[in-house]
Amino acid sequence: MTPVTRKEDHRLLIGRGRYVSDLQLPRMAHVAFVRSISAHAKINEVDTTEAEALPGVRRVFTADSPALVGLGLRAKSALPSYVETEQPALARGVVRFVGEAVAAVVADDRYLAEDGAELVFVDDERLPVSVCAWAPPAAPIHRDAPDNVLVHRVFDHGDTETALAGAHTVVRRSLITNRHAGNPMECRATVALWDDHQHLTLWSGTQIPHLVRNLLAELLGVAESNVRVIAPDVGGGFGVKAVLYPEDLALCAMARTMVGTALKWVEDRVEHLHAASHARDHRYDVEAGFAEDGQLLGLKVDAWCNVGAYSVYPWTAGIEPLMAGGLFTGPYRLDHYHCEVRGVATNTAPSGPYRGVARPATVFAMEAMLDSGARALGMSGAEIRRRNLILPTDIPYRMPTGLVDDSGHYLECFDQALDLIGYDALVTEQARRKATGGKPLGIGFAVYNELTGLGRAASAGPRMPFRTGHEACTVRVNPDGRIVVLSGVTSQGQGLETTLAQVVAEAVGVGYDDVEVRYGDTNESLWGFGAFSSRQAVIGGGAASTAAVAVRDQILELAAELYEANAADLTLVDGRVLVAGSPDAIGSLADVARVAYLESNRLPKGFSPGLEATRFYDPVLGAFAGGAQVAAVEVDPATGELTILDWVCVEDTGRVINAQIVEGQVMGSLAQGFGGALYEHLIYDRDGNLNTGTLVDYLMPTAAEMPEFRLGHVEHPADNPLGVRGVGEGGTLGPAAVLAGAVADAVGVEVDQLPITPARLWSLLHEPDRAHQ
Amino acid sequence: MKPAPFRYERPTTLDEAVALLIEDDEAKVIAGGQSLLPLLSLRLARPSLLVDLSDLRELETISAISDGHGEPEAIRLGAMVRHHRVASQNLHPLAAEAARWIGHTAIRSRGTIGGSLAHADPAAEMPALALALGAIVHVHGSQGDRRIPIEGFLVGPLQTTLAHDEVLVAIELPLPRRWGFAEVARKHGDFALVLVVAVELADGWRLVAGGLGGVPIRLSEAEALLNAEVANGEGDLPLAEVADLARATVSPSPNLHAGPGYLAAITGQLVEQSLRQAHLC
Repeated sequence: MTPVTRKEDHRLLIGRGRYVSDLQLPRMAHVAFVRSISAHAKINEVDTTEAEALPGVRRVFTADSPALVGLGLRAKSALPSYVETEQPALARGVVRFVGEAVAAVVADDRYLAEDGAELVFVDDERLPVSVCAWAPPAAPIHRDAPDNVLVHRVFDHGDTETALAGAHTVVRRSLITNRHAGNPMECRATVALWDDHQHLTLWSGTQIPHLVRNLLAELLGVAESNVRVIAPDVGGGFGVKAVLYPEDLALCAMARTMVGTALKWVEDRVEHLHAASHARDHRYDVEAGFAEDGQLLGLKVDAWCNVGAYSVYPWTAGIEPLMAGGLFTGPYRLDHYHCEVRGVATNTAPSGPYRGVARPATVFAMEAMLDSGARALGMSGAEIRRRNLILPTDIPYRMPTGLVDDSGHYLECFDQALDLIGYDALVTEQARRKATGGKPLGIGFAVYNELTGLGRAASAGPRMPFRTGHEACTVRVNPDGRIVVLSGVTSQGQGLETTLAQVVAEAVGVGYDDVEVRYGDTNESLWGFGAFSSRQAVIGGGAASTAAVAVRDQILELAAELYEANAADLTLVDGRVLVAGSPDAIGSLADVARVAYLESNRLPKGFSPGLEATRFYDPVLGAFAGGAQVAAVEVDPATGELTILDWVCVEDTGRVINAQIVEGQVMGSLAQGFGGALYEHLIYDRDGNLNTGTLVDYLMPTAAEMPEFRLGHVEHPADNPLGVRGVGEGGTLGPAAVLAGAVADAVGVEVDQLPITPARLWSLLHEPDRAHQ
Repeated sequence: MKPAPFRYERPTTLDEAVALLIEDDEAKVIAGGQSLLPLLSLRLARPSLLVDLSDLRELETISAISDGHGEPEAIRLGAMVRHHRVASQNLHPLAAEAARWIGHTAIRSRGTIGGSLAHADPAAEMPALALALGAIVHVHGSQGDRRIPIEGFLVGPLQTTLAHDEVLVAIELPLPRRWGFAEVARKHGDFALVLVVAVELADGWRLVAGGLGGVPIRLSEAEALLNAEVANGEGDLPLAEVADLARATVSPSPNLHAGPGYLAAITGQLVEQSLRQAHLC
């Protein structure tokens, strides 16, 4: 499409964005949560007397406060192995991780609320602590799951044992991935206000306002029509804001006892690192069998995912383990696959959705197996991938987990990436350095696929009591002939106001500047599950396009009557009504809209006033997206430092609606993947204390750490109204695999554990015995 | 992350500042606030009174100190000189280079050299620089003025010999003949994992490392070898041997990001790098 100026940029760049924390309401009060300093303990008493006596403190709540009794989150799934557990709004009887909210102080301002929080005394008795998902459990964390396994599933296809037994070469590795926080620039933020005991307005930086409305109405026992959820400008989400948290529920319940007083809670960074959802603390023990020519014959995977202390609401503890097992094999042909995944509860913050969901970990593991296989067989990493990739001729390809891949353009992405980086020249340079004693150079690869925009069939896996396959969108022509789009999908900075305006402008036949997009208010748009799993363009865009086409048809039918023409001969271009074969407009959308709303006397017989359509769209399956990354990396064996000489990423993005936004999404996800591979890591000590509780120790990369990423595109339209594929996550999948592969290629050490820090790499090179402890 | 309640005063004279400190045992001096404010927000520091030195303009001067022949031999930096000014002055190129490694632009714009020294973070640039140069710390208190050699000033992690009623007024940094500065941090602008300062002073070479323990340390064995080799004056200096000796003689405390073996190895690397930067070969 024609390049456009992004609609949201001006507002956001000059500081006029309006976020939840900007909200000021009369009589507003501020909340600070008292958070557990014990990782696992029985609560004897929570003493709030002193806090309540502090001037400026209005109320103090605990699990025993009448407003909170019986209130908790139970993520549901019909999976046979799933153990349902409860996460109370405020810890009740037991605390299960450091940072869990035990009490809440409501005060005149946040300073006073924190002063009050210091005066709440929690008397608890420590219980044994588990922080590692693959160590023997110290004690049951939930009564109903004595072994701490909340979800367990075996994926089994073919005869893996026989395939491995018959393989020419079998490689085995145990791979451990690192634990991440989402860390959007804006942390979580919520304001709850009840107009009376039955009417709630919630301002929240959520990715899923309609789902939050639905869930809260049920949890709080009020009519869904009485709950309004507003997500104003949101400063990043990455999945961690696609969760309904106990703090949100507690805030609503507390505010209900203070009708007319808005309660505001804005999460600070320390709270975010301790208590917002984490992700990717996994272990994969893998055996891969290869034929002599490199064909992957069988794959056996034993996986543990640390799901933290609670089953994340509403997605369940299955979110990472099921994705890990379901997409482990990636874009590779495979007949024999056996994978056992477990979601194990520990005394750490709950794990939840985070950009890439499990796949940055599984791609790291899968690509590591291919690299090991290639080394064992004396092939190049490029050759073994070429040998095994799903090809367009295999499409539709039924993966061993049952998912049907409708894409298959991986080899094209990979070849373009190799071409873009100048692979042959790199191999020559690598050999030259080896011969002349230059700094070791490694070439790393990752090829990946992901299911984006999951429709009703594809989102069936977790068997939750809702199916996230569809979205609604309303396209409305205003009386002045300009258009308002009310979208169910939301934006946390991805440029959706721009993208949807482009989609609707094109489909209706009006100028981009005449389309305004609104989202994030459950009183405006009909329905939407929101922003996650790279679904906005695929599903939200599909709904917008479908609704826009319906409105265009309405406009042209009315125009045909008004201008005495045949509707089939009419088109709408830039708001002008044209007859086929003539460049001169016979009318305008503004005229037609005026009649539709203001001059019913001119309405032809059989026409109702108004021009508006609401449509749902569900892709049923979804759109497989794929990509390849290749990098040239120099290793300094003396310091363990990596220097990225070049990095290319080629993705099959489907049809591109807005090239700048697509590139921004790919760049952003590459950066997040790069940070996750080299820097970011949440570290708990054995007592369950988070050692990386501030950004001094949890290393968020900045622009200064980023290499130059070079992008290429392959554009094979997907089977949906716009032909688009999701692009928001793919970039995160490659970096860990690429970097680990490049290191092994350069200096011959296998990196089995993330992040790849200079110290870890130095240790692998210079004190391997210690490094493998 | 909101500080506990505190009173706030901004005196306009040094004696007024000292008087405020005497008046309140729980008072704390604040300069640029780049270390103290996060500690306040985390409630790890809870002073009852903050004495802000921002209005003491006399603490913002930079001046050259000359020897008997009118040649500059040191510079004197007022305690409230911000890092960005240290980085952009040209009287003391080593101090300028070290200041460029501090944090990010925003931090350098507010943070001060006096604040950094008084805070005494073992991985910070300024304490290591001061130790390498044998700096003199000037303080003013109720008992008058003191000149404290840096070795007697930095005593432990976040610990100095500054008395409660004393204000750090200035630091005197001798000019080295030759110098090198090298640092490894996990990210741009982070505190160093290890940093090394190499300087040639009138009495020979000094090598100092920061980040390895509670305070910056002199790499004495490596210094001795280097000085002996320089005195010998024959042929190429064995920089690799000096670096190896540094690596072998340090005993770094491990941290979240690195083990002792790596930190020692990096120390050796940085010693060699800083000596090369000092044009010692």
